[in-house]
Amino acid sequence: MDPIAWLSGSLGVPYWAVRAVAAPLVYPGLAAFMVVALFIIWAERKIAARVQMRVGPLYVSRRLGGALQVLADGVRIAFQEIIIPVGVEKWSFVLSPILAFTVVSLAFTMVPGGPGIYGFRSSLSLLATYAIVTLTPILVIVMGWASNNKFSYIGAGREALVSITGEATLLASLLAAAMMYGSMDFVEIVEAQMRSHVPGLVANPVAALLFFIAALLVTDRLPFDLVLGEQEIVQGPYTEYTGLLFALSMALGYAKLYVLMLVFTHVFLAGWAPFTSPLLGSIAVFAKTLLLMLVAVFLRSVYGRMRLDQVASMFWSKLFPLALVAFVVSALIHPIYAP
Amino acid sequence: MAGSAGGDRHRSRPGLVRAHLEAIATAARRLLEPPMTMPIPDYGDARVPGYRGVVLFDYDKCIGCSLCAQICPARAIKMYRVPGDKRLRPGYNVGRCIFCGLCTDICPTDALSESIVHDRVYDDVPSMDMDPVDWAVWSRRVLEEERKPGRPLLRARVDPERGLVYERVDAEGGPVAEEKGEER
Ligand code: SF4
Ligand code: SF4
Repeated sequence: MDPIAWLSGSLGVPYWAVRAVAAPLVYPGLAAFMVVALFIIWAERKIAARVQMRVGPLYVSRRLGGALQVLADGVRIAFQEIIIPVGVEKWSFVLSPILAFTVVSLAFTMVPGGPGIYGFRSSLSLLATYAIVTLTPILVIVMGWASNNKFSYIGAGREALVSITGEATLLASLLAAAMMYGSMDFVEIVEAQMRSHVPGLVANPVAALLFFIAALLVTDRLPFDLVLGEQEIVQGPYTEYTGLLFALSMALGYAKLYVLMLVFTHVFLAGWAPFTSPLLGSIAVFAKTLLLMLVAVFLRSVYGRMRLDQVASMFWSKLFPLALVAFVVSALIHPIYAP
Repeated sequence: MAGSAGGDRHRSRPGLVRAHLEAIATAARRLLEPPMTMPIPDYGDARVPGYRGVVLFDYDKCIGCSLCAQICPARAIKMYRVPGDKRLRPGYNVGRCIFCGLCTDICPTDALSESIVHDRVYDDVPSMDMDPVDWAVWSRRVLEEERKPGRPLLRARVDPERGLVYERVDAEGGPVAEEKGEER
C-alpha cells in the first residue's frame, strides 16, 4: 500500500529520510514537474494557437495533436551547444540558473503532494515555501547582470521591481489566509478546510484572487510578463542563455508556477479533499494544480502585456490595499475554521 | 514610476469586471472553434483560373519575330543570337519579369505560355537570366513538374457565416465532392 514504507523497510533507512528524498525527487517534486512542464508548455502553445484560430504544434506525434513537440524541443535544446559569450561574468553566468532552479526545487520538500506525501512537515511550511520561491529573483538579477547585455540588464531591473511589487501582495494574501486558518502548516490548513467543508476560495475569495494575480506576476505570466518581454527585450535576463542553461532558465518560471499553484490548491482549494487516502488524495491535488496552471496559461491568450508603471501602480495602489480587506475578511470568517 | 495616467484609467471605470469576464469568455469561445489556417504542408493552394506564373517558351514554335521583346514592359525578354540559328531568339530574365502576360498575348505562334508557378528557387542571380536554349529546357522541366500529381489542393473561400473555409478542388479547379480536410 505505502511505497515509502516498503522502500524504507527494504533499504533499512528510516521512514522520514526516505520521504525527505522521495518527495522532492518524485512526487510532488522533479519527476512530476517534468511531466507537468511537458504538458503545460504544450497546452500553452496549443491553447494560444486555437484562440488565434491556428493549429499549433501538430507534426511531432500527429495522433496526439503534437503533444510530444515539447519533448522534441527539449531533446534539441539538450544537444545544443552552451555558448558562453566573451563578455560575461563566467561563473555567475553558468551557476546562477542552476542555483535558481535548485532553490525552487527545494520548495518541493515543503509542499505536500497529497495526504502524508511531503518531505518535511513544519508549523511554518507555508512561510518557508514563500521564502524559497521568493529567493529566486536575486539569482535572476545575477543572471541579468552577469550576461553583460543591455536586454539582460533591463530585464534584471524589471525583475527587481516586479518581484518587490508582486511579493508584497503575495505575502499579504498568504498571511491573510494563514490568519483565517490559524496555522501555517499545509496539512493543518487542508484539514481545517476539510473539517468545516468550506474551501478557502469560498471563505476568502479576495485573498484567493490576490494570490492568483500576484502569482502570475512573480512567475512572468501574461499580462505581467515584463521580465521576459519578448517583443521589447528579447528574453530579458535569459537572453544570452543557450542549450541546457536556457532550458533551466525557462523551467524556472514554470517550476515557480507549479509550486505556487500547489500552494493555491492547498490553501484555497482544500488540497486533497474530498479524499483521504494517499493515492486518491495525490491525484486530487495533482488534478487541481494542473487545472489552475491551465487557467494561468490560458490567460496568455486573453491579455496583452501591461506597462511597467501600470503594473506597479495597480499592485501598490489597488491590490495591496485590497489585501488589507482580505485580512478583515479573514478576521471575520476565522471562527468557522476554529478546531 | 509616475504611472498615475495608466492607473487612473483602470480605476472606477464602470463594468471593469464585466470587461474582464467578456474578454475571457471571448477567448474561451474561440478555443472551441476550428482553426482557420490552411494546412499548407499537407495541402496545396489551388490556383484561380487565369493565374499568371512564369512564362514558358517553346523553341520549336518560335519564328523569331522579336515582338515579345518589344512588348515586354519590364525588359525581361531580350533577343539572343543562338549559334547555328539564323534568327534571333528570345531569352528570359525571371528576376525582371512582372508576370503581366503581355508577351504570351502578342506571340503570333503561341510559343510563349503562362504557367501556374511563380514561386521557384534559383541557385543564384545569373541563373535567373536564361538564354533561349536554357529557357526552353527549363520550361520543359517546369511543365513536367506542373503535371506531376502533387498534394491535394484546397481553395479558400470567405463564407459570410463561418469565415474562411477551404474546399477540396482538383487540378482543374473543379470541386471534389464529400472528401473533407482532415480533422485537426
Ligand atoms: S510576362 Fe510581361 S514582364 Fe514577363 S516576360 Fe512577359 S511581357 Fe515581360
Ligand atoms: S513573340 Fe513568340 S514567336 Fe516572336 S520571338 Fe517571341 S517567342 Fe518567338
